[in-house]
Amino acid sequence: MAAAGRGDAGADPASNPGTVAVCFCESTPLLWRAGDVRTARQTGVVGTLMGSLARQPRQNCRLGRPLELLREEARLLADAGRAVLLSSSRPKSTGAANPELVKQHQEQMDQSYSEQSQLAQQDKKAVLLRVMADKKQGSNQSDQALQERLLALDHGFTFPRTAMAVQLSTARAGMSYGPEELRFLAADSLSPRDERQEARYRVFRDLRRRGFYLTTGGKFGGDYLVYPGDPLRFHAHFIAICLPMDEALSLCDLLALSRLGANVKKTVLLCSPGAEPEEVLYTSLQWSGMV
Amino acid sequence: MAESNTSVSCSSDNFYSELLSPSELFAARSRSHKIPARGQKEFLPDGSARQRERLQQSLEEHWSLISEERVERLGALVKGEWIPSKNVVVLKSPAGKFWQTMGFSEHGKQLLLPEEALYLMECGSVQVFLHDLPLSIQEGYEMFLSKDTVNLQQYQVFSHLKRLGYVVSRFDRSTVPSHYERQLNLPPERDGHGRQLKRKRSRSPSSQLPDGQGGVAGESLEMRGGETKSQRANPEDGAAGLSEPEAERMVEDVPVPSGVPERRWWVEGGADLPQSPTRPRHRGWVWETITLPDLGAHRCQPALAAPDPSLLPGRLSVGVCAMEPWLRRLNLRPERLSRRERERERSRYRRDVNDDREVRHCRSWAEYHELRRRRRNRHGRRNRPEHLWEGKVTPLLQPGQHTTAGDVLDKIGVVGASRLLDGAAGLEDSEGWKISFDVFQPDTVAEFKKSSPGKPYSRLCVCSFEGPVPDLRVLKQLAFQSGDVPVTFAVVDHGDISFYCFKDFQLPTDTSH
Repeated sequence: MAAAGRGDAGADPASNPGTVAVCFCESTPLLWRAGDVRTARQTGVVGTLMGSLARQPRQNCRLGRPLELLREEARLLADAGRAVLLSSSRPKSTGAANPELVKQHQEQMDQSYSEQSQLAQQDKKAVLLRVMADKKQGSNQSDQALQERLLALDHGFTFPRTAMAVQLSTARAGMSYGPEELRFLAADSLSPRDERQEARYRVFRDLRRRGFYLTTGGKFGGDYLVYPGDPLRFHAHFIAICLPMDEALSLCDLLALSRLGANVKKTVLLCSPGAEPEEVLYTSLQWSGMV
Repeated sequence: MAESNTSVSCSSDNFYSELLSPSELFAARSRSHKIPARGQKEFLPDGSARQRERLQQSLEEHWSLISEERVERLGALVKGEWIPSKNVVVLKSPAGKFWQTMGFSEHGKQLLLPEEALYLMECGSVQVFLHDLPLSIQEGYEMFLSKDTVNLQQYQVFSHLKRLGYVVSRFDRSTVPSHYERQLNLPPERDGHGRQLKRKRSRSPSSQLPDGQGGVAGESLEMRGGETKSQRANPEDGAAGLSEPEAERMVEDVPVPSGVPERRWWVEGGADLPQSPTRPRHRGWVWETITLPDLGAHRCQPALAAPDPSLLPGRLSVGVCAMEPWLRRLNLRPERLSRRERERERSRYRRDVNDDREVRHCRSWAEYHELRRRRRNRHGRRNRPEHLWEGKVTPLLQPGQHTTAGDVLDKIGVVGASRLLDGAAGLEDSEGWKISFDVFQPDTVAEFKKSSPGKPYSRLCVCSFEGPVPDLRVLKQLAFQSGDVPVTFAVVDHGDISFYCFKDFQLPTDTSH
């Protein structure tokens, strides 16, 4: 597992490309950085976006970061050495402002302001020049007026501070709260608590190894939805339900599950980890009539 | 998108830095606000180049949308500051349009609850600072969401509904009117009106302003129903003020028969409910000590005591009330019953079975039954043949008593109809199940007033597929807590939210034949 040295104030713990920083918010693993979301998808971990989209925050069709991961997904990433698990504690209420960082932030703002006002001035000039170029055939008077405006721009251009564009960062930028705030968790925090979770993880790993993409399947009455390819382009084929091998399932439940599968046009897959360490057994259910 | 910041920054060598340079910030003003539509999905991957290409295109579009950062004009942002000890955000610049449905005032300052502040941060309306440094959305999630405030799942439901346009506020149990209040159907209290009626007393030191979010000031009888966040600001002067001067005086239970009795029943007596220290004590009336004199009785008092001048408005003073002129207006003539009425009185209301001589003569139960049978026959009980009515099993209905088929069905029904709220009043709170939010419909936003929001469209209880399914006990308890507003269960499944609700349903009875 790639874990950077503790207390290293200068480096971001997950600055290697190919490693994602999994941040826990109250025991839910989340990915915050866009690069991490991309890297995770390349390893087959899809997750669910649960934040507002920056471009249009007031709609629910497409959501933005953070990406919520299943426990199994986070564990898979951690086991493959591709994830660093972080959990931050809330800052104490008696914490004081760090004058260094405040000064840095102020300087950043000031520099941004000066650059942006220059850019705004250039932009306005460019517009005027373009207008002048278009009106080449125009009368001398309007030409003169435009020249005057150009001169006025050079001398009296003001760019109010309130017009400055400011970024509201999504992910935490650097280590603003000091390294002691981030606690590096061991991978055991993701270890399964009971037999059912262990079954889920083994099924997840096996299906992932076979090349399927998996997302959460609670709305369909199962544990996972199984896609033959990337969920962006393909529909799910299976609803996977993970059970320990020796758990008894009543007939009513089986009937309910197969009915459900028939209604949503997906095949129900009963999955159980077998006796061997890497073995997983699958049974599919399909509702068919006797003709 | 990995961009490196060229200006002063501690993460300039960070491969994943997402800070935008000033030129990018400037260029972001002309960003498109449209979201490209997603195409149709395909069924099976067939390894073709066309599919690969389409997938790449979708993915690129996806990454560009996801990695876009929020850029806003500084003048359009409302500045806020996070107060960790109180779990609220204080606004440092005036609030914008969102103030109509979110936030509350306290001490003259505008405050936002953590979930509201986080939602507004995600919308790009508010920038929250802590120790003079702006917070990122990630820090907002990590700091604002906790067990004390709102947890992650509840926030997911909150923001989901807010994005759809609903008005979502925290549920407060004390604002639910009781069944009796609903029956009374009082007109909704308006803010200023209620305040004028209260008597201003000296501010009681015990009625402290509640800290942060949870404690709502006031379960006083005067201010029921209209209580919301904006009223937390003012302590319940009238109610709380009463407790202080009177608290030390003792309660007089029984009025002295002679002379003028003291009236002190409004003093807080033993009817205290245990409340959290942030709430003023519940005003309960001690019913045993309130005596309403029976003026028609023979032994009534000659005069009623003067009321306490502190209870009267202005400088009104009222003396002792003489009863003579009032008594003259009462009809104190003795009742004269007709002979039949007297008979009835004697036979039904005032008679003890053992007074009857004949009953005393009976020496066993058998004789008593015989006596009763004789009397019944003597009085000519019509329509009750012996063979039907004297056995162990008697008919269920008397002829002529129930005439419609519906009535008869009711009488012979073994399983009675039951409603969701039957037996719900006495249930204690279940573990882990609580109503989190009130939801108001989006089309009421124009007239929505925080001070009197009205009846919510629904109340939400947030749970997850990993937890247990709510059982009947939980359903009854939550439905009771919610009053007449339906309760919806928002089930969160790793980012997906489904809404379920349970409705009362009566099986129709067919009485057409």
